[in-house]
Amino acid sequence: MATAEVLAPLDPPDAGQPTRRRGGPNPLARYLLVRLALLVPMMWVLVTMVFVLMRVIGDPIQAALGGRLTADQIAERKAEAGLDRPILTQYWEYLSGLFRGDFGTTLTDNREVSDILVVNGAATLELAIWSLLVAFAVGIPLGRIAARYRDRVPDVLLRLFSILVYAAPVFFVGLLLKLAFAPFGWPSSGRASIATELTLQDVKPRTNIMFVDAILWGDPALIGDVLKHAMLPAIALGLLTGGVFLRLVRVNLLQTLRMDYVTAARARGVSERRVMNKHAFRNALVPVVTVMGMQVALLLGGAILTETTFEWKGLGYQLSEYLIKRDFLAVQGIVTLIALIVGAMSFLIDVIIAFVDPRVRF
Amino acid sequence: MSTRFPSLSKVVPSVVRQSHGLQRFMLLLGFALVLMFVFVAIFAPWLAPYDFNADRSGGVVFGTQQPPSADHWFGTSVGGTDVLSRVIYGTRTAVEVIILAVLLSALVGVPLGLVSGYLGGWLDRVLVLVMDALYAFPSLLLAIVVSIVLSGGNSGAVGGIIAAAVSITVVFVPQYFRVIRNATLSVKSEPYVDAAKVVGVRTPRILRKHVFSNVSSSLPVIGTLNASEAILTLAGLGFLGFGIEPSAAAEWGYDLNKALPDASSGIWWTGVFPGLAIVLIVLGATLVGESLNDILNPLLRTRGADTSEADQAEIEHEFEELTGAPSVEVRSVAEPGDHVEKKVAALSLTDLAVTFRTDAGQVKAVNGISFDVAPGEVVAVVGESGSGKSVSSRAVLGLLPSTADVSGSARLGERELLGMSSGSLRPLRGDRVSMVFQEPATALNPVYTVGWQIVEGLQAHQKISKKAARARAVELLELVGMPDPAERVSYYPHQLSGGQKQRVVIAMAIACDPDVIIADEPTTALDVTVQAAILELLLSLRDRLGTAIVLITHNMGVVADMADRVVVMYRGEIVEQAPARQLFAAPAHPYTRALLDAVPHLGRENGPGLVDDNEIVLKVDDLVVEFAGRFGQPAFRAVDHVSLEVRKGEVLGLVGESGSGKSTVGRTTVGLQQPTSGTIHVSGNQVSGLSDRELRPLRSRFGFVFQDPASSLNPRMSIGQCIAEPLHVQTDMEQSQIDAKVASLLDSVELGGGYAERFPHELSGGQRQRVSLARALALDPDLLIADEPTSALDVSVQARVLELFTELQQRLQFACLFISHDLAVVDTLANRVAVMQHGKLVEIGPREQVLGRPQEDYTKRLIAAVPVPDPDEQARRRAERGRLLTDIS
Repeated sequence: MATAEVLAPLDPPDAGQPTRRRGGPNPLARYLLVRLALLVPMMWVLVTMVFVLMRVIGDPIQAALGGRLTADQIAERKAEAGLDRPILTQYWEYLSGLFRGDFGTTLTDNREVSDILVVNGAATLELAIWSLLVAFAVGIPLGRIAARYRDRVPDVLLRLFSILVYAAPVFFVGLLLKLAFAPFGWPSSGRASIATELTLQDVKPRTNIMFVDAILWGDPALIGDVLKHAMLPAIALGLLTGGVFLRLVRVNLLQTLRMDYVTAARARGVSERRVMNKHAFRNALVPVVTVMGMQVALLLGGAILTETTFEWKGLGYQLSEYLIKRDFLAVQGIVTLIALIVGAMSFLIDVIIAFVDPRVRF
Repeated sequence: MSTRFPSLSKVVPSVVRQSHGLQRFMLLLGFALVLMFVFVAIFAPWLAPYDFNADRSGGVVFGTQQPPSADHWFGTSVGGTDVLSRVIYGTRTAVEVIILAVLLSALVGVPLGLVSGYLGGWLDRVLVLVMDALYAFPSLLLAIVVSIVLSGGNSGAVGGIIAAAVSITVVFVPQYFRVIRNATLSVKSEPYVDAAKVVGVRTPRILRKHVFSNVSSSLPVIGTLNASEAILTLAGLGFLGFGIEPSAAAEWGYDLNKALPDASSGIWWTGVFPGLAIVLIVLGATLVGESLNDILNPLLRTRGADTSEADQAEIEHEFEELTGAPSVEVRSVAEPGDHVEKKVAALSLTDLAVTFRTDAGQVKAVNGISFDVAPGEVVAVVGESGSGKSVSSRAVLGLLPSTADVSGSARLGERELLGMSSGSLRPLRGDRVSMVFQEPATALNPVYTVGWQIVEGLQAHQKISKKAARARAVELLELVGMPDPAERVSYYPHQLSGGQKQRVVIAMAIACDPDVIIADEPTTALDVTVQAAILELLLSLRDRLGTAIVLITHNMGVVADMADRVVVMYRGEIVEQAPARQLFAAPAHPYTRALLDAVPHLGRENGPGLVDDNEIVLKVDDLVVEFAGRFGQPAFRAVDHVSLEVRKGEVLGLVGESGSGKSTVGRTTVGLQQPTSGTIHVSGNQVSGLSDRELRPLRSRFGFVFQDPASSLNPRMSIGQCIAEPLHVQTDMEQSQIDAKVASLLDSVELGGGYAERFPHELSGGQRQRVSLARALALDPDLLIADEPTSALDVSVQARVLELFTELQQRLQFACLFISHDLAVVDTLANRVAVMQHGKLVEIGPREQVLGRPQEDYTKRLIAAVPVPDPDEQARRRAERGRLLTDIS
C-alpha cells in the first residue's frame, strides 16, 4: 500500500471526514445563486416600503400642484397619472413598471426618472468614485499604521483623527474647505465651469461623467477644470468614509494579528512585512469588505449632503430639489432607483467576498 | 482565593476603574464633553444672552452678519440673530432629540431583537428581512421621508422635536435590533441557557434573567454611538430643510445651511460656531462609546496569563495538600550532571524567566527554569494549566507578545537566542527551530492553500524556485502521510480533516530539517485514534531525521508513549526532571507522585460491577435524530437507531469520538433536542415528543451537568441563585427553605455556604463544576446526564471531582448517563459502557467486557489508541497497535 517514503500510518479510515461538500453544483455558483435569491425578497421589501411611504405622505398631485390648479384640473391630472385607481392596481403598475425599467415621470417638470438616472446618476457615480479613491488612500494605509503602532503615539493621533472626521458633518467640512479655498479663487461649487460644461455638451458619445467626457474631448484645460471642481467634494465625502475605513482596518488587523496562524507564520520564519501583508491584512479584509458594502448606504446618504453643499447636480441634489417641491412621483422613482443601487452593490460585495475568502468558494 | 474590592470602589464607575492610561483619558474627556453639553442644554435660557430668534434687544437691531464683538461674542447671522444664543439653544434642541431618539429606538429595537433572536422561526425571518432592508437604505433619506410624513403641517417646538426624534428612531431601530439579535443568538447557544431550559425555566424568565442580563452589556456602547449618529442625522435633516420648523427651535444644521453662502465671501463666524458645536458633542459621545467598547470588548483587551487567579489558587491548594509544602522547593532531582552528557545539546535553556506586564501588574509566568534537549531526544514538558510550559517554549522563539519580559539564556547549539533582534532571530525560526501548534484549525491561515503556506516557509529560508518548492511541498505532505498529496497540496485548510490539518502543520515544521521541533500539545485537539497516528508520525520523524523534540503536554499517557526524558513544571518552576522510565517507576517529588496518582488508568481490575436487579430509570428506544441539511443538502443523521437503558444506581458510560452523536443522545434525553423518531422514557414516563409545557413537570426527574463549567453558569447570577433556580421553578418552597437547601447542596459538593454569595468568575474550574453538580442534584433527580463533565479540568482537579461524583452517586443512587471521550475516566466509574461511532451504537455491555475484551473492531482500535501512563506497558501496546493498524489498512 503506502510507499516506503510514508513514515506513519494513515489516519484511521473513519476519523473525521474532510468537510468537502457532498455533490451538488459548483459551490461558488451555488453561493452566488443563494445570494441572488436572498436579494429578491429584500429588494421587494425595499421597493414596497418606498411605495407605501409615498402613499402615506398623501396625494402627490395635491402636494405638488395644490393651490396652483383648480380642483377639476387636479382630478384630471390624477386620472391621467392613474392615481384615482385602487391602491393595489397602482402597486401592480408600479412593480411591473420596475420590471420594464420604467420608474415613472416627474410631476413638476415631466422628466423621465430613467433620464434622471442617466444624467444625475452619472454625476453621483463620479463623485462616489472620487471620494472612494480618497477614502481608500486615507483609510487603508493609515489604518495599517494605527494597527502597527497600537496604543502608541501614531495610533492615538490617528484614532483621534478618525473620530474627528466622523464627528464633523460632511457639510461642515465642506464649509471649512470652502472657507479655506475660496480666497484663492478655487472653484467650490458645481461640477465644472460654465464654459466647460457648455463645451462638453457636444461630446460624442456623452457619458455624463465629466472626467471621461473631458478626456474624450481631449483638452487638458478642460480636464484640469473638471478635476479642480471635483477635488473639494471628493475630499469632504472621502474623508468621512475614509475615517470609517481607517477604524475598520485597524480593528480587524488587530484581531487577525492575534490569531494563531499569524504566530504560526512567524514561527516559520516568515518576515514581519510578509506576515502583515499576506497573513494579517488579507484576512482582515473579509470583514472590512463586508462593512464597506454597508457603507454604500452611508456614502449615498452622505452624497445627498455633499451634493447640496457643493451644488453637485447628482441624484441626491436632484432628490432634495424634488423633495422641497413635494414632487413625490419623482421622489418615488429616485428612491426606488437608490434602493436598486444598494441591492446591486450588496450583491457585488458578496462576489468580492467570494474571491477574498476561499471558504465561501469551496 | 478571590479578591474582594473595597467598598470605596463603588464610588467610581467600574468602567473607569477597568480603564487605564490613554483609554481612561479618552473616556473622561468624552464624559466631560457630554456633561458640558447637557449642562448647557439644561441652563440654556440663563446662559444665552438673547432669545434664539431675537434680532434686536431693547429696540436696537443687531444688524446682519456682524463680526464677533463684545455684545455678540460669536457675531450675528445672516438673519440678524445672535450666533452664540442660537448655538446655546441649539444645544438644547439637540440634547432633547438625542435622548428621545436613543430611548425610543432602544425601547423598540431591544425587545424586538430579543424575541426575534430567541424564538427564531418565521417571525425572526420576516423581522430580519424588514430590518435589513431598512438598514441597507440610506439612513438620512429614510429620516427625511419619515419626517415629511410626520410633520405635515405640524410646526410646534414639541411636535417638531418629537417628529425629528421619531424620524431618527426609525433609522436606528434596525441597528439595535441587529446588535441585540446577534447577541441573543450567541447567548442562546450558551450552556447556561440550556441549563435553565433543562430545569424547566419558562421562556419569559429565560429572556429576562439569562439572555437580557448578558446581552445588555452592549447597550451603553451602541447607545452612545447611536447618540452621535443621531446628532449628525438631526443636523443633516436641518441642513436640508427637513428638520424642526426654524421659528420653533434653534437647530445647528439649519444654521449651517444658512451660513453656507457666507463661506465664499469670507464670513466665517456664522458657520464655524454651530459646526464646532456639532463636532464637539459628537466627539464627546463617540469618545465615550469607543472607550466603553475598548474596555468592555474582551477581544481588544491586553491579556496576561490564560488562567484565572482562582484556577491558580485551586492548583496551588491541590499542590499543598498533595505535597504538604506551602511552596515549591526548586529541587531538580536529577541534576543536569546526573544523566550522561552524550552530545552537545540541541537546545539548552538556563535560568529562563518570563514576566508579563498586565493591567493588573507584573505576572511571573516562568521562574528561572533550566533543561536541555539532545539531538534525537524527546523531552516532554508536563504540567497543569498555568505551569508556564507553553510560555517558556514560545519565549525561545521570541513569539511572546510585547508585554513579556524574558531573561536567562536559551542556546541553540552555540547560538544564544534570547536578546537576539527579531531580524536575526527570523532566519532561525522554522529553519533551525520549528513549532507544531495545539489547534491545527487555527494554526493554518484559512485563505491560502496548504501548499502555498508550506512554500512560503520554504522560500523564507532557501533560495528555491516556486516550482521546486511546490514539488518539495508535495514530497513533505507524502512524508507526513497525507493521502493523495499531489491533489491535496492545493486544498484550503477547511477542506481537510483535523488530523490532516495537523499533518500539514507538521509538514511545515519539518520542511527545513530543523534541529529542534517544539510541539505544543500537538494532539490535544484531536480524537484519540488520530492522536495515536500523529504521535507515531512524530516519533518516526525523530528516528529518521534525528530531530530533537520538545513535547509540551498535560497528558501523562502521551508522555509515557513518547518521551525519553520528562520535565515536570509547576507554577513556572521545574519540580523534577528525570528519564521517563525512572519518573514513572519512582517519582521523586511528591507533586509528580500525586500527579501520576491522579491520572485515571485504563484497564482497572476492580471497577464497579453490575446492578442488574434495580428498576430501569432511562429507556431509550430506537432513537433517531436528524439535523436538517443546509439549503439543497440532505439531512444529517446524528443518531442512528440507538437503544439503551440505565438502571437505578447505575452509571452507563457513553463513549465515542467527536461527531459520534454521543452528546446528541444526552441532549435529546433531556428535551434540548427533539428526536426524529424513537421514544425516550424516564422513570416510566415518556419524555420524547412532548411540548415544553408537557415536559416541564417531568423535568424535576432529571439533571444535567455540562462540559464547560465556565459557560454553564450564568455569569451574572450568584452561585446561590444558580443552584436555587431549579427550586424556584419546580417547587413552591419558601425562600428560607430554599436557602437551607442551597446550603446543604453546597455542603454536599464540599463547598462552604459562603460560596452562595460569590459569582461564577470568582471560582476555579473545579469549583464551578461542583456547583453545576449541586444544581443538577437540587431536585433529587432519578437520572443525571453528565456530558463530558471533567474534560475541561486539569488532571488533579478532575480526580477530586470524579471522587466526589462517585461518592454522591453511591449515596443518592441516581441513574447516570455519563458521556465522555476519555475511556480511562469511564473505566473508573461506569458499571456498563456503550460505544458510539457515526451515530450508531457499536457495542454495549458490562465495563470489564467492553473495555477489557472488546468484540467489535472499532472498540478494539479505540482502546488500542489510548496511551496509558506507563512507558513499558505503552511500548507493548504500541507494538500490538502497530499490528492492528496495519491490519486495517
